[in-house]
Amino acid sequence: MVDEKKSKQRHRVMVFESMYPIVALMLILVACVELCDAATVVDVYRLIQYDISGVPFGSRFSSLNHHAASLSFQRGADLSRSVLILPLRELDIGFVQDYISQKQSLGGLLILLPQTFRPGNIGGGGLSSENDGFRKLLAQLEKILVHGNIPFPVYFAFENEETDAMLADVKKNDALGQQATATTGGYKLVISVSEPRKIASPTITNIQGWLPGLRAEGDSNQLPTIAIVASYDTFGAAPALSVGSDSNGSGVVALLEVARLFSVLYSNPKTRGRYNLLFALTSGGPYNYEGTQKWLKSLDQRMRESIDYAICLNSVGSWDSELLIHVSKPPDNAYIKQIFEGFSNVAEDLGFQVALKHKKINISNSRVAWEHEQFSRLRVTAATISELSTPPELLENAGSLSDTRQLVSEDAIIKGVKLVAESLAKHIYGHQGKDIKIFADDSSLAVNPFYVRSWLDLLSQTPRVAPFLSKNEPLIMALKKELEDYTAEVSVQHESLDGSFTFYDSTKASLNIYQVASVTFDLLLLLVLGSYLIVLFSFLVITTRGLDDLISLFRRPPSRKVKMG
Amino acid sequence: MTLFHFFNCAILTFGPHAVYYSATPLSEYDTLGTSVKAAVVYLATALVKLVCLATFLQVSETEVFDPYQEALKAMIGFIDVAGLYYALAQLTHRNISQNHKFQAVGLGWAFADSVLHRLAPLWVGARGLEFTWDYVLQGLEANANLVFTISLAALGSLMWLRKNKPKSLIPIIYTCAIIIATMPSITSYLKRVMGWHFPKIVGFELVTSLVMAFISCQLFILCQRPSL
Repeated sequence: MVDEKKSKQRHRVMVFESMYPIVALMLILVACVELCDAATVVDVYRLIQYDISGVPFGSRFSSLNHHAASLSFQRGADLSRSVLILPLRELDIGFVQDYISQKQSLGGLLILLPQTFRPGNIGGGGLSSENDGFRKLLAQLEKILVHGNIPFPVYFAFENEETDAMLADVKKNDALGQQATATTGGYKLVISVSEPRKIASPTITNIQGWLPGLRAEGDSNQLPTIAIVASYDTFGAAPALSVGSDSNGSGVVALLEVARLFSVLYSNPKTRGRYNLLFALTSGGPYNYEGTQKWLKSLDQRMRESIDYAICLNSVGSWDSELLIHVSKPPDNAYIKQIFEGFSNVAEDLGFQVALKHKKINISNSRVAWEHEQFSRLRVTAATISELSTPPELLENAGSLSDTRQLVSEDAIIKGVKLVAESLAKHIYGHQGKDIKIFADDSSLAVNPFYVRSWLDLLSQTPRVAPFLSKNEPLIMALKKELEDYTAEVSVQHESLDGSFTFYDSTKASLNIYQVASVTFDLLLLLVLGSYLIVLFSFLVITTRGLDDLISLFRRPPSRKVKMG
Repeated sequence: MTLFHFFNCAILTFGPHAVYYSATPLSEYDTLGTSVKAAVVYLATALVKLVCLATFLQVSETEVFDPYQEALKAMIGFIDVAGLYYALAQLTHRNISQNHKFQAVGLGWAFADSVLHRLAPLWVGARGLEFTWDYVLQGLEANANLVFTISLAALGSLMWLRKNKPKSLIPIIYTCAIIIATMPSITSYLKRVMGWHFPKIVGFELVTSLVMAFISCQLFILCQRPSL
């Protein structure tokens, strides 16, 4: 009997030993913790990261794996392993400025924007005074963030119910002094993306459309040309949200509508003017209009010399009663006087005013504030029509977060289109001084408000930061096709962006919000379960075998030696 | 500490089975073979049930309580009972007293049920960072299920293996067995029609399981006494 039992035990031990490799394999499998299945996933957009001549700007990191904290944290608490959640509604600009300028360490920053700033959000009370306040705050915040060198990840997200609930919870916990760490539970924010890499050779793409005028007996190259130019790319704090409805979506839409109107006129040889029209959609606008410069240099010299004048359109979407014409040649120049008179006569007819503003070009300063300055540097007469009165700073007014569809009014664009089209027509057909309206409202050449609206809506949902646009980006293809419909020859020019600007990728990510329990909770649960199992064991032993058996389990059997001795 | 949580929930779900085996005289009489055979029978029964459900049941998109579908599910649930009958009555076990036979069969059956229904969700879900109470509740449900299964096995052994039963107790035995066998339908009724949430349902299951265990224990003891 004893031998049988012993052999059985040995057999059992051997079985267990042979299972060791399987157990080891299971342990390895078990060690892979999966970070999937978060309760909440939110789309977030990263702050731009760029270098100018090697000087770093923007947020330098992208991945995030920290606990959430809110503004109600205790003073002096260590936030270097927390993500600070800042809703725009409660933003304190001074606080952010201090934090960044004093280079305090922070795990990350998550800024929650109201839903009205979402690019797809076309309807809904955009112009209330509350939103105006937000826009100003947002503009200030963007300026600080874009021009600072921030050593932690900064992300923008839109408020929704889940983030509101999480923020309320986090605030409650922070107010009680229980900051979220590994031992006290709370919320954990995880963004798992790879480190941002430089964009290898960012390209800027210029699209030009050529509408030839009526040749008399000579060849068309002797006909004078009028150029209409608008830059279509944007730059903002969050490149994935940089839709630039006003800067410069409005300019692009105005250019397309003017092209459409003149293509109708030029399709019939009887109404074709004796001027060629050159439409150009340029890129690289925020970077000192580099695209415009490269495009101009690539033009045939004869063509460039045949340009009578160029009209650049920049932000014509949210003005009311006055539009400004910016020039770099002095106002008493004969050409400028003629152009300005033409525009102001048409404006008077249409019921608003235009004013002339002169800004001298400083050749030694590489900053190009207006697009027409690139033309002037190559001795082509040009002017910029814009609602902006002061020249924008570098990387400003180029499609910020607050520049959404609601800021733009179609009427302003339509008025701008009428101004440009009528003035051009008067110049081309020689109707100066006469009271003739070619693009009248009920005619077949009326400005089409639906066309304006549909293109404006499209542009307001398409972020257009040039380094992140590929050569065959759908938007570029769409603009090219549109110009092909209205002009005779379209050519697309790809150039690479100047070496002094370097951009980094990783602009959009998914934020996983996990509600985590603290380690103390797990230990407590283990304790409870352990005691439950022990109680269960004792209960079963007592009821089935009796109390004596339970006690005998804990007492060692008397040693054999005593018996044998 | 997500692996920690997985470990906690695992011992809550599967611990009681091991504890039951080692605490009661089952381990002394080496009834592991019986339990394993019962587990295999459970697997076969589950397969048959799956095929029947797939063939006869329509999947409804909404959480509406359809009495016909539920009746069909209950009937298919009786395949469970048939399986248990097979495991208790038809399989040849070694010489184990009836007392221990039903416990071993019930234990093996409940363990296979827990592993099949609860191990996969536990493995996939409890290891994530996100914390929910679901897996703890699932573990408690596994405990209730163990008690239910052992009670059902006890009543089953009374019904099929014991020949001399007091006549008055027979209807009670059958009623209790039917209640336990239709527990899944009852819980789904509570979930869909009465709108109870998971914690409430688990609490209800625990209470009912203890009540049922007590009743079947009493019935078993009564049937032990020689009838006169």
